[in-house]
Amino acid sequence: MTAVAPAAFQQSNVDYVAILPMLIVASAALVGVLVEAFAPRRRRHVIQVSLAVVGLLAAFAAVVWVAVDPNKVGHKGLTMGFTDGTTNHSVFALAIDGPALFMQGSIVLMGVLGILTMAERFGGVGPDAFTPSGASTPGSASESAAARAGALTSEVFPLTMFAIFGMMIFPTTNDLIGMFVALEVLSLPLYILSGLARRRRLLSQEASLKYFLLGAFSSAFFLFGTALLYGYAGSVYFGDLSKAVATGPLAMNGLLLPGAFLVFVGLLFKVGAVPFHAWTPDVYQGAPTPVTGFMAACTKAAAFGAILRLAYVGLDTARWEWTNAVVIVAILTMVVGSVLSVTQTDMKRLLAYSSIAHAGFILVGVLAFDRKGVGAVLFYLVAYGFSTIAAFGIVSLVRQNGGEATHLSQWAGLGKRYPLTAGAFAFLMLAFAGIPLTSGFVSKFGVFSAAIGTGGATGTTLAVIGVVCSAITVFVYARVIVLMFFSDAPDDAVEVVTPSMATTFSIAIGTLITLALGVLPSSLLDLADRASQFVR
Amino acid sequence: MSPMHYVYLAVILFSIGAATVLVRRNAIIVFMGVELMLNATNLALVTFSRMHGALDGQVMALFVMVVAAAEVVVGLAIIMAIFRARRSASVDDANLLKL
Amino acid sequence: MHTGMGSLAHTVGTYAAGLAAHEGEAHAATGFTAYAWLLVALPLAGATMLLLGGRRTDKFGPVVATALSWAAFVVGAIIFVEMLGRGADSRAQNVTLYEWVTAGTFKLSAGMLVDQLSMVFVLLVTFVGSLIHVYSLGYMEHDPDKRRFFAYLNLFVGAMLLLVLANSYLLLYVGWEGVGLASYLLIGFWNWNPAYATAANKAFVVNRVGDFGLTVALMLMFFHFGAVDFQTVLGKSAALTGANQGFMTAMGLMLLLGACGKSAQFPLQSWLGDAMAGPTPVSALIHAATMVTAGVYLIVRSAPIFEAAPTAQLVVVIVGAITLLFGAIVGCAKDDIKKALAASTMSQIGYMMLAAGLGPVGYAFAIFHLLTHGFFKAGMFLGAGSVMHGMNDKVDMRRFGGLSGAMKITWATFGLGWLAILGVPPFSGYWSKDKIIEAAFIGEGWRPWVFGGAALIGAGITAFYMSRLFFMTFHGKKRWDADDHPHESPRIMTVPMIVLAVGSAFLGLILSWNDMFVSWLEPVTGAEPEGAHPVVPVPLLLTLTLLLVAGGVFLAWMRYWRDDVPVTAPAGSLVTQAARKDLYQDQVNEALLMRPGIHLTRSLVFADSKGVDGAVGGLAALVGGTSSRLRKLQNGFARSYALTMLAGVVAILGALWVIS
Repeated sequence: MTAVAPAAFQQSNVDYVAILPMLIVASAALVGVLVEAFAPRRRRHVIQVSLAVVGLLAAFAAVVWVAVDPNKVGHKGLTMGFTDGTTNHSVFALAIDGPALFMQGSIVLMGVLGILTMAERFGGVGPDAFTPSGASTPGSASESAAARAGALTSEVFPLTMFAIFGMMIFPTTNDLIGMFVALEVLSLPLYILSGLARRRRLLSQEASLKYFLLGAFSSAFFLFGTALLYGYAGSVYFGDLSKAVATGPLAMNGLLLPGAFLVFVGLLFKVGAVPFHAWTPDVYQGAPTPVTGFMAACTKAAAFGAILRLAYVGLDTARWEWTNAVVIVAILTMVVGSVLSVTQTDMKRLLAYSSIAHAGFILVGVLAFDRKGVGAVLFYLVAYGFSTIAAFGIVSLVRQNGGEATHLSQWAGLGKRYPLTAGAFAFLMLAFAGIPLTSGFVSKFGVFSAAIGTGGATGTTLAVIGVVCSAITVFVYARVIVLMFFSDAPDDAVEVVTPSMATTFSIAIGTLITLALGVLPSSLLDLADRASQFVR
Repeated sequence: MSPMHYVYLAVILFSIGAATVLVRRNAIIVFMGVELMLNATNLALVTFSRMHGALDGQVMALFVMVVAAAEVVVGLAIIMAIFRARRSASVDDANLLKL
Repeated sequence: MHTGMGSLAHTVGTYAAGLAAHEGEAHAATGFTAYAWLLVALPLAGATMLLLGGRRTDKFGPVVATALSWAAFVVGAIIFVEMLGRGADSRAQNVTLYEWVTAGTFKLSAGMLVDQLSMVFVLLVTFVGSLIHVYSLGYMEHDPDKRRFFAYLNLFVGAMLLLVLANSYLLLYVGWEGVGLASYLLIGFWNWNPAYATAANKAFVVNRVGDFGLTVALMLMFFHFGAVDFQTVLGKSAALTGANQGFMTAMGLMLLLGACGKSAQFPLQSWLGDAMAGPTPVSALIHAATMVTAGVYLIVRSAPIFEAAPTAQLVVVIVGAITLLFGAIVGCAKDDIKKALAASTMSQIGYMMLAAGLGPVGYAFAIFHLLTHGFFKAGMFLGAGSVMHGMNDKVDMRRFGGLSGAMKITWATFGLGWLAILGVPPFSGYWSKDKIIEAAFIGEGWRPWVFGGAALIGAGITAFYMSRLFFMTFHGKKRWDADDHPHESPRIMTVPMIVLAVGSAFLGLILSWNDMFVSWLEPVTGAEPEGAHPVVPVPLLLTLTLLLVAGGVFLAWMRYWRDDVPVTAPAGSLVTQAARKDLYQDQVNEALLMRPGIHLTRSLVFADSKGVDGAVGGLAALVGGTSSRLRKLQNGFARSYALTMLAGVVAILGALWVIS
């Protein structure tokens, strides 16, 4: 490989319209920081929430604008970089294409629902799920002083916006180092958010520490893989990587396999794939419930967007090197996720293992290596994301003595006393189980049929294992439903608190979308199918 | 001296870093292990940059340093909070979430 | 999906040319048939209303549910009359409800196939179902939860109709799961009794094994044909010639596995006996007349697949033959009146399976027997319910005896059912079961002798155990407890029994007139091949059958009417003991599946102590055991998580290096 540095300074070529959605979210986050500094305390909550929601909706409008491209200027394609005039070699950092825009749009919309559940106050001054003073020691005088003074943690909103910003870049970025930066931009705010729970703060801080240490550990792997691939190909741009593999064996051929796999490790960690899943249940349980819901939906979507791009654009030509590794991971993920969910006793941990199992099912779609597979994965991410936000939203409403009641035994008989809430939750459980007429069925059907259709013998094997694992998880979800509707409530029964309009809205929307995507999935399937072509 | 030696050194440093994460209890030291892994990567990046005769590897190393700095800020804050709450920085003491 | 049904069902008339002769051409629906969705919508609306309406609907709910069930019957009858008015070739109609999934080239429209076969089921399910609704008004009168009961019954009727009316395997699967859910809910209806809840769970687990087969079959279809609707799948299967045998066999066997789970066929039969824990009307409707026959429907509907896979077809016959003998033997030893009837159901469905596996010579008779069996078995179950009603909910036949005097109507209606199942001419069973025995004797080589022989011997044993049941209950000495005052049931219960008894008596005769039923089904099941004759002359076969039946009845008469029946069961021979224990089916299950995981099951931490999670069966225990072991890996130490990650990286990379 010869030098790729340009002979003379060359201005990079940025299509600002194409990156407008990300710019909007980033600026909303930055303005949020200023609001935190200057707005009076009692108005801060309202300002922050409206700022975040308006910013996200504007970003969504921008995504739609870029995607439908009214003036046919063509904002789609590679941007932020330049083409070397002499070698015609191009280095562009961002790829604005179907999958990227689809992922950005869905992350932003799921972000709105996430923000709305985080904003729940239950009549207090600040968001109810978050401690008024994250820096103070749990149970200390300074904590109670902060609570008395009416302190509130409205900085969670800018933090969430930064995380969303990172999530939007993650599936869009066209090179490994950009992917690393995006990974960190989305992770760092999440590490902090996980540690800010109002109740059970020790658990929350522990979740934060574990998430942080293991996350940093995994991003070191990602980075080392990047370095190895750079050593192999002399570039970290996906186009160059793909070409380098295609042109044949190089001197440093031995770096390709470890490099590719280590990069995948960093991404598979984020989706909670086995054996990189150990953080998931602990963090899901310890983090404030609205944050868990947001993480489960949006992080998973962003990370799978990145996995898709890496698998289909960057390392597509090196497929025979790493496919087997990811197949092993997919099988482990499905089996361990579904089997372990059987013995869970905590609702949030149960949902965490369910999310691990779902990551395995989605990986099956990734391994289809076909446009159909991409479309199916995109659909799955949206369907699962909305269901999971609603599910965690409901979990945050079931309470005992003010705190969340997450032990399964506390949910016994809930259906008799709160039929509507329990009914919605049961419906979401059915969606997770993949029962027909819910979005879960269509998504599972999509990924499995894509795997069988184009994945060959491996795909068929994966799909069969997937069906068996789904059957196991059906049992788990059915048990939750049975528990809610056919068991008697314990004496110290839990209550379902009445949430504000915002939370009600986000739970209702999540549930309705789960239903709508099950009954009339065609339009979104079409959209995902049309959005399934990557640019190079 | 062949530049490959630097790559080997980087691999060794990376392994030492990973081993540190696994064997040390103090959260600060564990975190230093992670930092060592990142810096081993930097060494590898710079070496490959030299081998390919291109600058981008070095630029990437700069990126990594900035990101690592941001990570330090967040990491130390979290470890501090834990330390103040528990009077211990041992990662093994944070063991409430399990099974 | 009923939100989408509001829009009038529109019709789509474009179908691939060159359809299989088998399936006939389904025309786009015209006339009242376009309203076939009402069949499913009416009962489901009832179920929704009763479940959501809460206590407000306690008073009028059951009556409304019954009315809606009858309304579905009326809709079915109108469609049936309309169908009669058309020529035989244009009777099959396709009602497209809406485009469910359209992604790329894959299109799936939810629709209904209203043809001769599904019409038989519609009429059976709505008619018998409605009668049982009526009966339940009396039977469940004093149950505090009868609103829920009727909601589930309505749910069942809706789901069952969806199952038989679906025009694709996917929609069939929806109905399939729906009836499974209703069955689960109704078996465990009295779930304050832990044994009943366990029975429900057992049924659930066994059915999941079957459903797994159906799911895999669905996926194989999709893989192979790129579609899951009957039109494409069956059309393409019929057009296959020799190629892809292995594939078709796999598909057939998976469908059979699904059928075995739902229809309680060997080796998945163990749940049916326990399912008798549900209220008796449920046993009559779901676990005798309709749901358990869904497996037979699946096989007959999938006929072209089995035609293309002779091995799978042979397995169907073998499964049928084994089950019919198995059920009959078990039936001889059961003292619980409902469990004896359940064993008999199993055995009779074995006959249907056997017929369904014989190919075109058997399809029509499988369905015919299904229809007559639906009447006489439902009638007998209702009779058993009536006996229990009069005998303080006792089920032990050794405590009955001589009830014919106290319960005249029950005795008479039960007697007609008894004559029908025995196959005594001219009652219904004679026209359907004897035809199956005849069909089993058609063929070459060893098959007719083995299968025909099994069917023939089965008939003899059937005669013995059904007579045993009948005599022990209604004749011989009175063996009642002191506080038993048997009395006839109220009219609301006896009228449905009478109606079903009339059906048991005459339905076979009427429908056999001029081969009416067989020629009605011919466009769906294909014509009976010309010149196929049993290896034994028909008159001889007939005589043999009747002799065996007479022998069975005589033996039962000697032992259970003439002689005194001991109140406590004697130890009995080894065979009797084995049969009492369902031929050790549960023990085999336990040794193979349950014991390895049983001590781990106990360690399953779960709040519900009422048996939701207690003994959930072998596979579940295995999963649970693995789960609680794996769970220990999640030990809470961040460093060990990091080790898991690193070990994973090293192990997988190492494995890849070794491979390459």
